[in-house]
Amino acid sequence: MHIPDGYLSPATCVTLYAGAAPFWWIALRRVKRALNTRLIPLLSLFSAFSFVVMMFNLPLPGGTTGHALGVGIAAIVLGPWASILAISTALLIQAIFFGDGGITALGANCFNMAIVGSLVAYGLYRVFAGHAAVTARRRVIAAGIAGYVAINAAALCAAIEFGIQPYFFHDASGTPLYAPYPLTIAIPAMMIGHLTFAGIAELILSAGVVAYLQHSNAGLLQFTAPESASEGLPRGERAKGRSLWLALAALLLLTPLGLRAVGAAWGEWSVRDFADPQARRQMAGASLQHVPPAHAPNGLQRLSSVWTAPFPDYAPAIVRNQSFGYMLSGMFGAGLIVLAGIILTGLNILIQHYQLRLHGEASVTSNAGEQNR
Amino acid sequence: MKHDAFIQRSLQSFIRALGRALESEELSKLDGLLQRLDPRVKVIGLPTLIVAAAVSHRLAVIAAIFIIGVVLAMLSQIPLRTLAARIWMAVLVFTGVIALPAIFITPGQIIYRLPLLGWTVTAQGGYSALFLIGRTETAATLSLLLVLTTPWSHVLKALRSLRVPAALIVIFGMTYRYIFLLLATARDLFESRQSRTVGSLPGRERRRIAAATAGALMGKSFQLSHEVYLAMQSRGFSGEAHVLSDFTMKRRDYAGLAVLLALSATAFWWGR
Amino acid sequence: MTPLVFDIQNVTYRYDRTVLALDGLTLQIHPGQRVALLGANGSGKSTLLRILNGLVFPDSGTVSFAGDPLNETRLRDEQFRFDFRRRVGLVFQNPDVQLFNPTVFDEVAFGPLQLRWPREEITRKVELALATMGILQLKNRAPYHLSGGEKKRVALASVLVLEPSVLLLDEPTGGLDPRSQSQIIDLLSNHQAIQTVVIATHDLNIVEHIADHCHVMDAGRIAASGSPESILGDTALLQRTSLIHAHRHAHGSLVHSHPHLHGHEPHQH
Repeated sequence: MHIPDGYLSPATCVTLYAGAAPFWWIALRRVKRALNTRLIPLLSLFSAFSFVVMMFNLPLPGGTTGHALGVGIAAIVLGPWASILAISTALLIQAIFFGDGGITALGANCFNMAIVGSLVAYGLYRVFAGHAAVTARRRVIAAGIAGYVAINAAALCAAIEFGIQPYFFHDASGTPLYAPYPLTIAIPAMMIGHLTFAGIAELILSAGVVAYLQHSNAGLLQFTAPESASEGLPRGERAKGRSLWLALAALLLLTPLGLRAVGAAWGEWSVRDFADPQARRQMAGASLQHVPPAHAPNGLQRLSSVWTAPFPDYAPAIVRNQSFGYMLSGMFGAGLIVLAGIILTGLNILIQHYQLRLHGEASVTSNAGEQNR
Repeated sequence: MKHDAFIQRSLQSFIRALGRALESEELSKLDGLLQRLDPRVKVIGLPTLIVAAAVSHRLAVIAAIFIIGVVLAMLSQIPLRTLAARIWMAVLVFTGVIALPAIFITPGQIIYRLPLLGWTVTAQGGYSALFLIGRTETAATLSLLLVLTTPWSHVLKALRSLRVPAALIVIFGMTYRYIFLLLATARDLFESRQSRTVGSLPGRERRRIAAATAGALMGKSFQLSHEVYLAMQSRGFSGEAHVLSDFTMKRRDYAGLAVLLALSATAFWWGR
Repeated sequence: MTPLVFDIQNVTYRYDRTVLALDGLTLQIHPGQRVALLGANGSGKSTLLRILNGLVFPDSGTVSFAGDPLNETRLRDEQFRFDFRRRVGLVFQNPDVQLFNPTVFDEVAFGPLQLRWPREEITRKVELALATMGILQLKNRAPYHLSGGEKKRVALASVLVLEPSVLLLDEPTGGLDPRSQSQIIDLLSNHQAIQTVVIATHDLNIVEHIADHCHVMDAGRIAASGSPESILGDTALLQRTSLIHAHRHAHGSLVHSHPHLHGHEPHQH
């Protein structure tokens, strides 16, 4: 799912670089704090390992290739932030040195694989592993699930990025300037291969390596096990956070119920609804039998042309199946909200950092105290 | 003795990667135009050209930038054969396969109809495929030029003087170094299995080998990382990252930078 | 009275809290000595060197360097740490562990950079160290493409550049062809600036060329100490500590030995 140069418009590339930047920033600060430990060589090793893993290409139907990422184990051993840096490094070296995924698309690739991948893998691992012992079987299963979902989340992001190109970026005659396939094609093409081969490869890799570590070097799994959580939210808060995510997931799954509703919601009428007899009857029915005015109000007419939402009527033009389009829009919308939330959280953490700095945080370049046996 | 195709393919990709790195080291020592320029000029100038190609709304501009890339390669004594083998073919095949369906499905003005199947080719579809292939080939060519004419250590130092944090530079450098170590170790592991394999392996056996190899690689990697950390401490490492860099820009470097940026600016303007 | 370079008293160390590597070991190293630590694989030599270099710390017992204790707390003090890291250098057995910078020049410059030497001095000293090891022409090469002998020399140069007064070496001739081996031995014997050298090895052939004092290690303890002649002549000791094969062949003055853990097996590695 590496995106080469030329598939994403500059606007998309810049947006994704901007989206990745706060995460890189935070990750760097966190890792710098741990520079005086064995994290650096370990991080570089996982980065190299991920690079090598990505070389094992599996041919997929549709002429593309899929591969495992190694993001699952990176997040499980190193924690999410170091994992972000590790996978981003592997992608950078691939882009520059091996010309595998473009330089302009680096932000996008890092956003999908390093950032979304790491956060999803880490989050799911923590949720499913719970408070199990470091050597428990449950952690192996959690690792497998985390890796599988993470790589598919990354693939979905890439597919969406591909798929929206034809809508936004074409020239006057309608020629797509970048990736030419709409969402209806991009998403299945990408997801089929990742829900199957690549996803299973990542599952086996994540679960296999965790099992191996449990038996040969269990200390490495300590960092993401609750007993040693250094950036600890108190237990109660973590539970609350978890239930929020579950609730969001449940809501997403229930979106198709919205299709059962007939007609437009009250007040959300468009200009042409005022002219359409059937729509007028609905409006009246919903408004205690008050008859709507003959023409749309002036203000409504003037302002309705200001913003044409990317997905008018919640379904992209080319999507034939209405329910599919509806759900897609729902997920896209929820995704945007989550993204906004993550960015805002990131900004919040940044602001807190600076406040701490102003009030004299202890020096970050400390000492060789962390000797390891 | 028939060896399993999977092992063979994996081995081949390792050896290719190692070979490519060695070749880069040699080509970067030749006395060509790009090799003589300060790495910062290349790290700034070449990606700017790539962005110009990415942004352009005209095929002609993309073609022009591609030609600039070919000219630079020739002036830097990079054999075109190398470029063709390493990327032009691969990108053409890969992107071609992806772009091909677009020719048929993009709505627009029909310019051709396939005789037997009745599929229609549209002008918009054709142009779209050309844009995709053109941009990808151009970007890949220019990135490869950067890599073939600049040793990785210089790339890192150029990034450092462009204010990339030292901690990241240390990580990049170590990762790069470990990639080769891991590749060599993985190759050795595979080679030892290959010599013990006769005939084709069933899928399950293949997966087992892959998992066991990954496990062995992991084991060696962790041991290595622990030892490296000790070695770093032994020479005084205690948490700070330092990079020693000593490039100075000469007149020809400024000239080179100016030319590259001027070309990019023209391309930006012409392709808007 | 000049203080001992190292004074190790009753030191015990376990890997991962289970495997016993050092078992109540006591050892003293005097300034100016050239010490060979002899022992088969698994006798604890490498661990001991790491303890001497302040990289790992014993579970029990004491270690002191130049009369003062050497422990984690002291090493946290920047002043002491910079001084110690400069004065005591360790060359690891596997050079790959020590080669993690992009070029040979960067590798040798790593130590001085960490110890915050001024830039001009670094360049000068690095070139000098490279020239001493005869590898100045490799200055801009990537370390991982070098041959085994070249890698060892880069590793040595990267430690020697700090001008240590105590040099610890872990199997310096391991994996090298005879020519490279003799080059390394020449270098070590002729290097005047280093006061004290401790070499861990199981290669009995080099001992008489480089050491004036021997300690034999076995199962985490010192089994015997003495001059090279007395130790090398003590066949029973060498056999007991698995430094030579049960059947010993003498070719002139060289002792033909097969270091094994279990005496009677044929060549195995």
